Amino acid sequence: MSRRPDEAEALRPPTPPGRRDWEAIRTVVRKDLTAVRRSKAIVLPMILVPLVLLVAMPVSLGLFARSADSSQVSRVLSSPVVSSVTVDIVALPEREQLVVLVLGYLLSPLLLVIPLMVSAVLAADAFAGEKERRTLESMLHLPISDGDLYLAKILGAYLPAVTITWVSAVIYAVVTNLVGWPAMGRLFIPFQQWTAMIVWVAPAVALLSLGLLVFVSSKARTTQEANQLGGAVILPLIFVAASQATALLLVPLLGVVLAGLVLWGVALALVAAGSSRFTRDRLATSA
Amino acid sequence: MSDAIDAREITRAFPSGLALERVSFSLPAGEVLALLGPNGAGKTTTVRVLNGVLRPDAGVARVLGLDPTVDGEEVRRRTGVLTENAGLDDRLTTRENLELTARIRGFNTRGARRRVDGLLERFGMAERADDLTQGFSTGQRKRVALARALLHDPELLFLDEPTSGLDPAGTRDVIDLIQTLAAEGRSIVLATHFLGEAGRLADRMAVLHRGRLRAFGRPDELAADIWHGIGAEIDLGGGPAETTLGAVRGLAGVLEVRPLGHGLALRITDRTVVPRLLALLAQRHIDVFGAQARPPSLEDVYFEIERRIVAEEGAMVTDGFLATTETGT
Repeated sequence: MSRRPDEAEALRPPTPPGRRDWEAIRTVVRKDLTAVRRSKAIVLPMILVPLVLLVAMPVSLGLFARSADSSQVSRVLSSPVVSSVTVDIVALPEREQLVVLVLGYLLSPLLLVIPLMVSAVLAADAFAGEKERRTLESMLHLPISDGDLYLAKILGAYLPAVTITWVSAVIYAVVTNLVGWPAMGRLFIPFQQWTAMIVWVAPAVALLSLGLLVFVSSKARTTQEANQLGGAVILPLIFVAASQATALLLVPLLGVVLAGLVLWGVALALVAAGSSRFTRDRLATSA
Repeated sequence: MSDAIDAREITRAFPSGLALERVSFSLPAGEVLALLGPNGAGKTTTVRVLNGVLRPDAGVARVLGLDPTVDGEEVRRRTGVLTENAGLDDRLTTRENLELTARIRGFNTRGARRRVDGLLERFGMAERADDLTQGFSTGQRKRVALARALLHDPELLFLDEPTSGLDPAGTRDVIDLIQTLAAEGRSIVLATHFLGEAGRLADRMAVLHRGRLRAFGRPDELAADIWHGIGAEIDLGGGPAETTLGAVRGLAGVLEVRPLGHGLALRITDRTVVPRLLALLAQRHIDVFGAQARPPSLEDVYFEIERRIVAEEGAMVTDGFLATTETGT
């Protein structure tokens, strides 16, 4: 059946076989973002958690650190056990040490909770949510390849996760510098390791969380089930991330880069494994 | 005319068991096929396999001349599917739901907008174009989903329960629409439980039962295989006399005669027997108030096939039970 000329004009040129259909990918990503933006159950935690972690906590702890007596802290940081890793802090004037320790090294790692959480929530919605809303079947009957659909779903969760993390990091830097200013009198965030954590490690963490949730979502039938199953994986990760990232900021820059590299490796392996399982046949069977 | 669908020995299993077992049929382009069968018969699996969503474990299919396992995307580009569940994202508006599909199907922004507006107008949903689909009635969802299936003017349509959940007016509209689409030369596969609509629309019927194709063909051809002759009813305004019954029985072409309260029920070889029968009755001065040859409907054919399948399965179960008892196991 031939198309009428006006309809032919309405069509964009077809994507050659084997090439990515970026227009279709963009369309699915845009659709997922629009849908998520309208879902209070998803948007609210994504605003509230960063607000608590990046504004409420730094303000309260920063005000405390600014006015507290730093001499005890200085003694602990200078003790032989930890002095090798705290040398940068110990080198600061005593009144700055507690502010830098609390806001720069102890609280900053909580930023990694943001990519973990955001990408987990969005991935659960994008993968298990389609099954739950019973929208997957009609999607599978569209002329989009399995690879393009997978990529669109990954990007639809990953791009917002990284964007929200980076915006959160900027907000955190502004808040902490404002709170710390009376004690510091200068900008103390970002510093090298912090920047590496945000630019290099956080995107890897987002992808790692996404990879895990894609795996979990293939077993789950609802978003809630995916979140529950994911919680069993993601919550311990959050704990490990928060506790270990403190040490991450205390090691030299190369250490941060290497840690990020390991995370990238694991995350990419997980996403690649997810890709091989993401076939229409499997999805239709589980839908 | 070339075949829109040519399925050969399609087999597909799931962990729960065989969903399709060596299913073979073909549908000439431009015809309507009613895919019938009880729940779990394999209708949806058939549609999924033909549209390249599921891979068959064995067998091959050609859809619009393409192999769905190799050219799935191209097949899906040329087919339109109405799934049983409308599958609309309730967080999107009607227009957004349709434009998503239009963009993936290759329309540019302006083309998608124009096509969506046209179809929403056609389906009486233009006023709800910018409303979220959440809260839409089943009928409204079905109309939006139908518009979505037609966005790209598909050559082959798979319609899974297109009228379920619709009110009588909506049902009539959809049936009229399907008739129009068929008249335009589209091939249509109609999976449905509503035998009345299938009877009005289908050129051919396929009866699936537990993944096996138990009957395929034109309803009248299947009826001829099942029954010898066709039914007819003569309204005599009262019960027939014995002499009348005897005379009718003696007429060439009459296979069976049953008295009714208002006349006769007959089985005749073909409809040409009716005028001869009327002539006979007129000759005997018997008033005739109405006469109608009633070829078996698709519904009659389907239920007879189902009845035979159930009887056959019952016999197999009984045989199995007897065999087991006889061997003492």
